[in-house]
Amino acid sequence: MTGRVIVITSGKGGVGKTTTNANIGTALARQGKKVVMIDTDLGLRNLDLLLGLENRIVYTIVDVVEKRCKLKQALVKDKKNPNLCLLAAAQTKDKSAVTEEQLKEICEELKKDFDFILVDCPAGIEQGFQNAVAGASEAIVVTTPEMSAVRDADRIIGLLEAKEEIQSYKLLLNRVRPNLIKSKDMMSIDDVVELLSVDLIGIIPEDTGIISSTNKGEPIVNDDKSLAGRAYKNVAQRIMGNDVPLMDLEAETSVVAKFKKFLAGLVGKEKQ
Amino acid sequence: MGENIFTDIYNKVMGFFRQTDAEETAKDTACNRLRVVLMQDRTNLNPQLLEKMRKELIELLSKYVEMDKEALELNFEQEGEQMALMLSIPVLRARPEEEIEKALAEEVKPEEDADESCEDAVVDENPEEDEAAEETESEEEIHEEDENKSEDNE
Repeated sequence: MTGRVIVITSGKGGVGKTTTNANIGTALARQGKKVVMIDTDLGLRNLDLLLGLENRIVYTIVDVVEKRCKLKQALVKDKKNPNLCLLAAAQTKDKSAVTEEQLKEICEELKKDFDFILVDCPAGIEQGFQNAVAGASEAIVVTTPEMSAVRDADRIIGLLEAKEEIQSYKLLLNRVRPNLIKSKDMMSIDDVVELLSVDLIGIIPEDTGIISSTNKGEPIVNDDKSLAGRAYKNVAQRIMGNDVPLMDLEAETSVVAKFKKFLAGLVGKEKQ
Repeated sequence: MGENIFTDIYNKVMGFFRQTDAEETAKDTACNRLRVVLMQDRTNLNPQLLEKMRKELIELLSKYVEMDKEALELNFEQEGEQMALMLSIPVLRARPEEEIEKALAEEVKPEEDADESCEDAVVDENPEEDEAAEETESEEEIHEEDENKSEDNE
């Protein structure tokens, strides 16, 4: 087996890198793929929280690098899905605890046993970014339709372009708000794509359900009713090479669509 | 008559809603601001350097045409995947041939000096960015030369 190593990065913090990582990873695993997620945000780890695995972590990536344990011992299995594993970041070390070479080695090792290795990149363009990118051959750049996020995404794209190992990179537009786009208060999907001149891998609507899903430690793709969850599942399909059209968010979030959902909910309850 | 009244009312009502459209929307402002910022980020050319480039272009072009110096515009624009440097020069009149030749003849000697001092000034003002812009080309050249030399030695 030779797995694909995909780094999920953004430049700006707080645009949803880790949420994206958790959801794409879970969605791919639900499709029967063997997935491992690597949190490279040393000192500021969060991926464990989003997956609800924070109490199961014994060893971290730093323990692997410093040879206190074997790589396989440090992989934490997901609660629900045995196809899904996490290699957690150390919370007490800083970014220099793992080098680019060491991350490359870890990725190479994991490629043998997994279909997908998703690397969660820290915010910023310093060494933490360089480390996270080191072992990857593909990248997903997460951004939101906001000025600062788009500008930082452009910087990241510039840096990715300069990396020979990165063969392809795609844009994931997160926290899209169709009503604000309609009122021309927010940049549209086309605007962002044109500004950055990069291909899209998906669009994720702003979804308040993300907050409760994070609080529960349960990725939103496990909630079949969630719009954001469905959008993430579509992204996973596209990563697997399936041609899934982009969601029409305006139609999905219209009053009619909500009413239909409401009716469907009522019918569902009656059946029960 | 009746139809006219209705179309009139319709236009007035639509005109009322369109008033917001006539002004620049928040997303247009965002796009326009980002376009400029991204160009600057991508090229490493800050506003000071752009201004310097503008001045030098005016100096150069003034030899050939008389133009509205204040209205000369210099901007980066994205055209598909390519980035273009757009120069818009309002020409007042083309200079007659003798005038051009005279200007050129006058500047043969001082021009060389001026050019050198300009380059020096740029390096002094902004050594990092200027070098970064030139580095890619000049470095490649140097490498090629090195390779040639080593081949020669062998």
